Amino acid sequence: MLKYLVGRIAGIIPVLLVISVFVFGFVHLLPGDPARLVAGSDASPSDIALVRQDLGLDQPLWVQYGRFLSNAVQGEFGRSMKTKRKVSEEIGSRFLPTLYLTGAAMAWATLAGLLIGVASATKRGRWPDHVGMFVAVSGIAFPSFWLGLLMIDLFSVQLRWLPTSGYGTWQHFVMPSLTLGLGVAAVMARFTRSAFIDIAREDYVRTARAKGVPSRLVVWKHTLRNAMIPIITMVGLQFGFLLGGSIVVETVFSWPGLGRLLVDSVSYRDYTVIQAEILLFSLEFILINLLVDVLYALANPEIRYS
Amino acid sequence: MTRFALPLVAGLLCCTALTNAAFAAKDLVVGVPDNLTTLDPADVNDTLSQSATRTMLQGLFAFDKEMKLIPQLAESFTVNDTATEYTYKLRKGVTFHDGTPFNAQAVKINFDRLSNPANKLKRQSLLAMLAETVVVDDTTITLKLAQPFGALNNNLAHPGAMIHSPKALETYGKEIGRHPVGTGPFKFVSWQADTMVATKNTNYWKPGLPKVDSVTFRSVPENGSRIAMLQTNEAQFVYPLPSEMVPMVEKNPALSIINAPSIIARYVAMNTMKKPFNDVRVRQALNYAIDKNAWTKIVYRGFAGPLPSPLPPKLGFHVPQAEQYTVDLAKAKALLAEAGYPNGFEAEMFGRNNTNFIRGMQFVQQQLSQIGVKITVTPLEAGVETARVWGVEKPEDATVQMQYGGWSASTGDADWGLRPLLWGKGFPPKFFNVAYYKNETVDAAIETGIATADTAKRAEAYRVAQEQIWKDAPWLFLGVENLLAAQVKNLTGLNQVADGGLQIEEADIQ
Repeated sequence: MLKYLVGRIAGIIPVLLVISVFVFGFVHLLPGDPARLVAGSDASPSDIALVRQDLGLDQPLWVQYGRFLSNAVQGEFGRSMKTKRKVSEEIGSRFLPTLYLTGAAMAWATLAGLLIGVASATKRGRWPDHVGMFVAVSGIAFPSFWLGLLMIDLFSVQLRWLPTSGYGTWQHFVMPSLTLGLGVAAVMARFTRSAFIDIAREDYVRTARAKGVPSRLVVWKHTLRNAMIPIITMVGLQFGFLLGGSIVVETVFSWPGLGRLLVDSVSYRDYTVIQAEILLFSLEFILINLLVDVLYALANPEIRYS
Repeated sequence: MTRFALPLVAGLLCCTALTNAAFAAKDLVVGVPDNLTTLDPADVNDTLSQSATRTMLQGLFAFDKEMKLIPQLAESFTVNDTATEYTYKLRKGVTFHDGTPFNAQAVKINFDRLSNPANKLKRQSLLAMLAETVVVDDTTITLKLAQPFGALNNNLAHPGAMIHSPKALETYGKEIGRHPVGTGPFKFVSWQADTMVATKNTNYWKPGLPKVDSVTFRSVPENGSRIAMLQTNEAQFVYPLPSEMVPMVEKNPALSIINAPSIIARYVAMNTMKKPFNDVRVRQALNYAIDKNAWTKIVYRGFAGPLPSPLPPKLGFHVPQAEQYTVDLAKAKALLAEAGYPNGFEAEMFGRNNTNFIRGMQFVQQQLSQIGVKITVTPLEAGVETARVWGVEKPEDATVQMQYGGWSASTGDADWGLRPLLWGKGFPPKFFNVAYYKNETVDAAIETGIATADTAKRAEAYRVAQEQIWKDAPWLFLGVENLLAAQVKNLTGLNQVADGGLQIEEADIQ
């Protein structure tokens, strides 16, 4: 296992290298001249020339890539073209808010999704199933910006219970994490339900029931544990997506997260920030995949890595 | 339920306590749409960051709320006849927030920094004509220019020419944009991702100001959330206010709306070098085909005004034109027929891809269809627009036929309202003359206007230019946007200037 882990971690480096080429290429393929965008709409040509020089955009592409790579290896991504702040600081100041929000949303959403899913599956065709799936489908279908605005109107404007937006206290977390988690909870519920139903058809579940194992044990031990593999996969995927930040929730609740930073950077052609952020997202996904693989082995001892 | 009630009550109490405290301490929160970019005004090009820096830094000149030029850190000035040498008397007894005195040496350090291309500052062009700064004595400074420039005081009133503490420039170097130290009414405290806080400068040189204890800029991109902040008193002033939200704010007795004309001109530039727009009759015909009042109502719900000259009414040297292009379809058709297009023609119109621009373009499309002109609307993302419109190297390579756009002359002067847009030497990529308009009379007038500081001579030059441009109609003259903002009623003294900038110095919460 340890050997396997070391191998997997070492494997990250070439993957990131390939990604770096793609990211760099993609960013420079975007139409539009960042120097002109950075300099602003009423900048004079000499201002634009100065900006271009300042950003190093007058250098040949391979020189720019070389510099990007050698800096990236040292964990240095240069300065944001837009704010001139260090990219590491720019991303750093938004990473934790994104992580916390993702954590809060994933925690309740996974738990709620799991419970609704199991309830629906075990009471299949009866009212808990119908209610659960109604909620789940609504959760997937409900536009999150609309939900967010409705919550602001109810909890902040009418009831004055929670601050409208921003980042700081635990109160600030309530509405964004509910909004962000709703879709995840819905997906998790649907997913758990179908995985659970699949496993419940397996011979060993039938055998367990036949030999008189209590229903609770059949559900929570025999069935759920085996249904965990697809569920873990799903949790991992959702977690990875949410870590990329959510433009909608961040916009509605003015949350200082990574999603808005990325969208702002793309529309600004802030090359340095885009590159660093996409590399970060890739790294996050790779690490989450690794974690998911390890969790597989914990859920199912038959899975061995060597 | 009871289990939830306790923390909720606690939360409520906590909130109330906070709000009460906020009232006692007079903390002003301004809700704005975007994040600030940097707090070094010399390196900023967005109005929002400029507004934020204006609370802390000041220049030799400034604009009052009517956009009239007023002296700020300068007391008086003299200029020679050729507009190449300006001498300024500086205000005495002013100190920066860090205690260093404001004097001629500080001005020199700042202006030399801004004008030096090696510093690669985005606002270098404001002082690009500066040849030498001479410190005459502690409160007198002379600026010698490499070429005549009549609008220098306007440039010095631009936020880009505001004065940093020389000590701060030295201490923070490249990080000055995160550590602004000026002479303004507020002192910088902090700036995290989307929140900037500045506190009262108790040693401010204007007695009795500022009246609020702190000012906070909070970036809230979603319109609905921003208004909600105002409703809950988490913010006391928010902008912009989308016109569709005006009725909602009007219904709330605690809130009021600020609705004032801006200097943002909206127009469609037509490529005068290419067919069919190379014929002046075609361009005039299109102007006659558009109902500007309907444009105001449909695109801005009535929150816009007319553009009765190439310069918006609030800009210096504006002269309203006698003969307006009031809608007249018969005349428009006749002019088209005369130009050889009795059945109209087809053309493509570029413009940005936001809701407002698309709505505006569709409006123009519909209006022009009445005279047989079929317009294809092509919305462009900012970067694509840059590549396709502003970055084109040679006029003959330009693919733009019509460009729906706008302009806000950030110096508040006629020069920057005309020269970048309609000067024959200002084709892209140099400037923004996307109409590729070139007229000798206009070129001469623009060049005369900038070569003197004599107000009468400048007024005459810009009168001539406006008249000629109006006749030649390189644009569809659509109108001037209004600035819409909302505030709580007990806030006074916070002004939004016609260029969109905020003046917070005199703000007070009753």
